[in-house]
Amino acid sequence: MKTRKTLVYTVFYILGVMLLLPPNAYAMHIMEGYLPINWAGIWFAMVIPFIFLGLRSIQKTINTNPGLKMLLGLAGAFAFVLSSLKIPSVTGSCSHPTGVGLGAIMFGPMTMSVLGCIVLIFQAVLLAHGGITTLGANTFSMGVVGPIVSYFVYRLAKKLGAPIWLSVFLAAALGDLLTYITTSLQLALAFPAQYGGILASLVKFMGVFAVTQVPLAISEGILTVVVFNVLMSYNKQELQELSVLTKEV
Amino acid sequence: MLNIDGFAYTNRLRQVHPLEKAAFAFITMFLCIGFSLPVFSCIIILLMAYAIIGLARIPMKVYLKLMSLPLSFLSIGVLTIAVSISTHGFGAAQLAGITISGINIGITHSGLHSAAGLFFKSLGAVSCLYFLSLTTPAVEIVDVMRKLKIPALFIELTDLIYRFIFVMLATAEDIYTSQSSRWGYASLKNSMKSLGQLTAALFIKAYHRSQTLFTALSSRGYNGRLNVLAPEYTVSVINIVIIAIVESTLAITAILLEMGKIG
Repeated sequence: MKTRKTLVYTVFYILGVMLLLPPNAYAMHIMEGYLPINWAGIWFAMVIPFIFLGLRSIQKTINTNPGLKMLLGLAGAFAFVLSSLKIPSVTGSCSHPTGVGLGAIMFGPMTMSVLGCIVLIFQAVLLAHGGITTLGANTFSMGVVGPIVSYFVYRLAKKLGAPIWLSVFLAAALGDLLTYITTSLQLALAFPAQYGGILASLVKFMGVFAVTQVPLAISEGILTVVVFNVLMSYNKQELQELSVLTKEV
Repeated sequence: MLNIDGFAYTNRLRQVHPLEKAAFAFITMFLCIGFSLPVFSCIIILLMAYAIIGLARIPMKVYLKLMSLPLSFLSIGVLTIAVSISTHGFGAAQLAGITISGINIGITHSGLHSAAGLFFKSLGAVSCLYFLSLTTPAVEIVDVMRKLKIPALFIELTDLIYRFIFVMLATAEDIYTSQSSRWGYASLKNSMKSLGQLTAALFIKAYHRSQTLFTALSSRGYNGRLNVLAPEYTVSVINIVIIAIVESTLAITAILLEMGKIG
């Protein structure tokens, strides 16, 4: 009896969250002004070293291969456009930073922190997703944590002998999940619950966003595999030319 | 395609110096986030609405639609803060709530209070961002970044990305239209396949375009630097005085409100 009641409440809760989400939700960008000023500053400070390292590694590759700057410019625009497309998912279609997993595998995590930061600036200015004061926090979750996780999961899975589709799927899906967990953590740290503190708050935020983000992570994983398959079967030469960036693929 | 970008080029404040507009937007935004006072946030929302609709002449309907964009994140985020979860109940503080298998889910007075404050504060900050992005083209925002001594490589990449966003967006839209006219997005499985193909095609197009661009630039003597002339703007003393007066009035109002709250 009790489990049935819980089940009914869970269904109502999921329907409720889905009702609140408009068909075009950009749920995981922390919006402008949402974070208190001290947390906005802390996340900016956390991101700056990564941007600095990223710029240095880009500069190094550009010195030997000057055409790369154009490629990175187009890759950034590509990531922006992808984020404005809708990914099909079980809970309705939802727009999302699709490029994270794909970009990390192709360009390496350091480069992605710089590209991610620039793309987030344009998303804030041109689309009003995210914001300038929350730029640090959003860059940290989407430009630093997501790509690093994707990149190392991909490398690890390949080393363990997993087939390439599985490595790509795990890289994209786990990168996505970790991005979502990081954002929830950022929100929980900024707004600890009155009863139960940061942990209770984290459970609340993760619970609310899980409804959209878990199916999305799986969708994104599948999508990245499809993209990779198309690229591998029709554009192998380009991928090999690109390998200057990560020394392998 | 991107209507915020369109208005940035055609609004009435287009000729105003970008640094003045940026200063106005950011000082107001920091005041709004620095002082968490719902009344003060509402003043800022009204002030920015006046600046955007009254001075920059952005149609009111467009502005209201833009202001409703962040509501999905905001409604979820604010409700999450308003609702408290506990295993031992909230006692007298609870206004309403239910209990599911030993876990209390309820709304408390203080939770509701902080949620409401956050709601107006975020909307106030968003309206400041809208003022900047609706009156200042992205190219000029990049110019402001250049004056802030951000590394040149970062600025150059930003410029390049902005230029290509529109090319890539048009390409993606063309592919999407032709796919969907062939039932490419008719089912979940089809959508996955189509979107995957779109992404791959877009990526390869971006790659080839970057190569042709580099060839074209190299044949014209490209040496690693793209130099462009920034448009010149006249600094208006009247504008600076007005901004200074508005900002100091806002700051004084905020301090008075803060003292009133404590006293």
